[in-house]
Amino acid sequence: MKTLLRLIIPALLAVSALADDSASELAAKLGALQQNGSSVVRLKMEVQGAAKSTLQLQIKQRRTNSATEVVYQVLWPKERAGEAVLLRKTGDQSASGTIFIPPNTVSTLDSSQMKEALLGSDLTYDDVVENFFLWKQQAIVGTEVVNRVSCDILESKPGRGQRSYYGSVRTWVDRRRDVPLRVEKYSSSGKLVRRIETTRVVTNDDKQAVPANLTVNGPRQGSVTELNGSSVKHGVSFSDKEFTPAGFMEVSPARSASN
Amino acid sequence: MNFFTIVTRGLLRRPVRTGLTLVGISIGIAAVVALIGISRGFESSWATGMKVRGTDIVVSNMGNALAPKPFSSEVRDRIGKLPEVSAACSIYADLTSVEDASMMVVSAREWDGFSWQNLKLISGRMPNDAMEPAVVLGQTAAEMLKKKIGDPLQLETKELTVVGIVDGGAMVENGSVILSLALFQNITGNEGRINVIDIRAAPGLSEEAVKQLCDKIDAIAPEAKAMVAGEHLGNSQAFRFISAMSWGTSLLAVIVGVLGVMNTMLMTVFERKQEICILLAIGWKPGRVIRMILWESALLGFLGGIVGVIIGTIGVKVLETLPAIHGMLEPDFNAGLMGVAVVLSVVVGVLSGLYPAWRSSRLTPSLAMQG
Repeated sequence: MKTLLRLIIPALLAVSALADDSASELAAKLGALQQNGSSVVRLKMEVQGAAKSTLQLQIKQRRTNSATEVVYQVLWPKERAGEAVLLRKTGDQSASGTIFIPPNTVSTLDSSQMKEALLGSDLTYDDVVENFFLWKQQAIVGTEVVNRVSCDILESKPGRGQRSYYGSVRTWVDRRRDVPLRVEKYSSSGKLVRRIETTRVVTNDDKQAVPANLTVNGPRQGSVTELNGSSVKHGVSFSDKEFTPAGFMEVSPARSASN
Repeated sequence: MNFFTIVTRGLLRRPVRTGLTLVGISIGIAAVVALIGISRGFESSWATGMKVRGTDIVVSNMGNALAPKPFSSEVRDRIGKLPEVSAACSIYADLTSVEDASMMVVSAREWDGFSWQNLKLISGRMPNDAMEPAVVLGQTAAEMLKKKIGDPLQLETKELTVVGIVDGGAMVENGSVILSLALFQNITGNEGRINVIDIRAAPGLSEEAVKQLCDKIDAIAPEAKAMVAGEHLGNSQAFRFISAMSWGTSLLAVIVGVLGVMNTMLMTVFERKQEICILLAIGWKPGRVIRMILWESALLGFLGGIVGVIIGTIGVKVLETLPAIHGMLEPDFNAGLMGVAVVLSVVVGVLSGLYPAWRSSRLTPSLAMQG
């Protein structure tokens, strides 16, 4: 019996280690795709709840392995044009942010406010800066078909020293294209808090499949947010000023480094 | 009672079942007519758009995105120097969401280029210069965006003014937001970038010479591909995908129709076993019985085809009136498409009747006596 266990246990450990490696590799790959340098995204955000609201947004982002800076700027409607939210996160530290409302109201967001709604949507401030693929605990916990596409389910949990509002996040990943088709975020008690579904995938200039349209269901009853991407531009050169409240006062177009 | 009376009576024996089978096959044919009509309409609308702009050749790089990939505007200068080219006009055409409209064509055109010439002002005026923060809207675009002359229009990071509403002579033109290329490049940070060049060939060039000019352009502008106007859309992977999806969906609908007709005809054969056996007993040859079943299924297909064409056409006309789709469809319901749909339906009917017909030919007169 002991001999049998001596043979089986190492084999099981090896299989488990292989699975963990595969999960870590997948998470690292997806994490790197998210932390992919400087880019500008244009999208339409529609919040359908008790009242329907539509915003045209420009998102400027600088993402590296260790730091993330994101600015959401409202382009339309006119009465909200110029509103901006700057979010920053460095390493495993808590995120921080700044809100700008024209003509010159600037307020800061501390870490306790990061779970509040981003521009009235079903996403929180944390959702747009937190890269859960970079969390320490990653595991593939199953496979499931989403929209007729076979997906691996990657479960991410924050490791020691990594703080998050969520206890775990599950991502349904289309392994053929390495694109997340569904994300579910759970509280530490295991309750589903937020579900993000990818409704359209496009291939970007780097030949990488990326989600273009997303639907977000949060804890607010009867509220759904739809994000429809119009364009994405990579390799954009930003000035540091564009990531400061002073820079929010002028909404400028993004210029590629090659231009 | 002649042969065709027997065929018709066979179908009328169970009117509800025949009616339901007709509905099944006609829905399949309606899907063929609607989807292919919409897809062809889109293609022919692009071709019309090119024609009204007087474009002979389109230079673009249609990858797998809905809008062509950008390239340097310097390509236009290279092409413009060819002696066979009488005029070239740089364009940046983009598909993007504008204000609360989901996807619209934004067509930024070289100032003073020939692609402005086909636009007929319905109201207002054209922009005064290349950098005036102004746009003109195709009449459908104005309706979709609920804009009139003098209204502001947010395009990317800039607020522009609607100065004119135009009739572009084609659905694509009428659904577009049109502005100066230099202004668009400035507000999107795309200075020096374009993604389409419209080309007018020198007068008198034959069709063959225009094709040769395309090859010449390809040689000096490898960044993009030159196509004879109207054919360029077929070069788009996205359009090919949409087209394939239309045919795929139609095929599925037709397969459902085939199964419906086959089921009906099989039931007919089983139910009329005695009748068929008596026909064989009085001297009908198995071949004639086969023909009878095939004629019945072909007639079912023919009627299904006619009803399907009517349902498909009316369905798309109703769709066109929906606010979310209004102005975005210009279906091409030509006689050819309708003829193909009806023929397809008859073929489907005949194919569906083959197995039941074969089963009927295996019956023997002696079976009639068994009840």
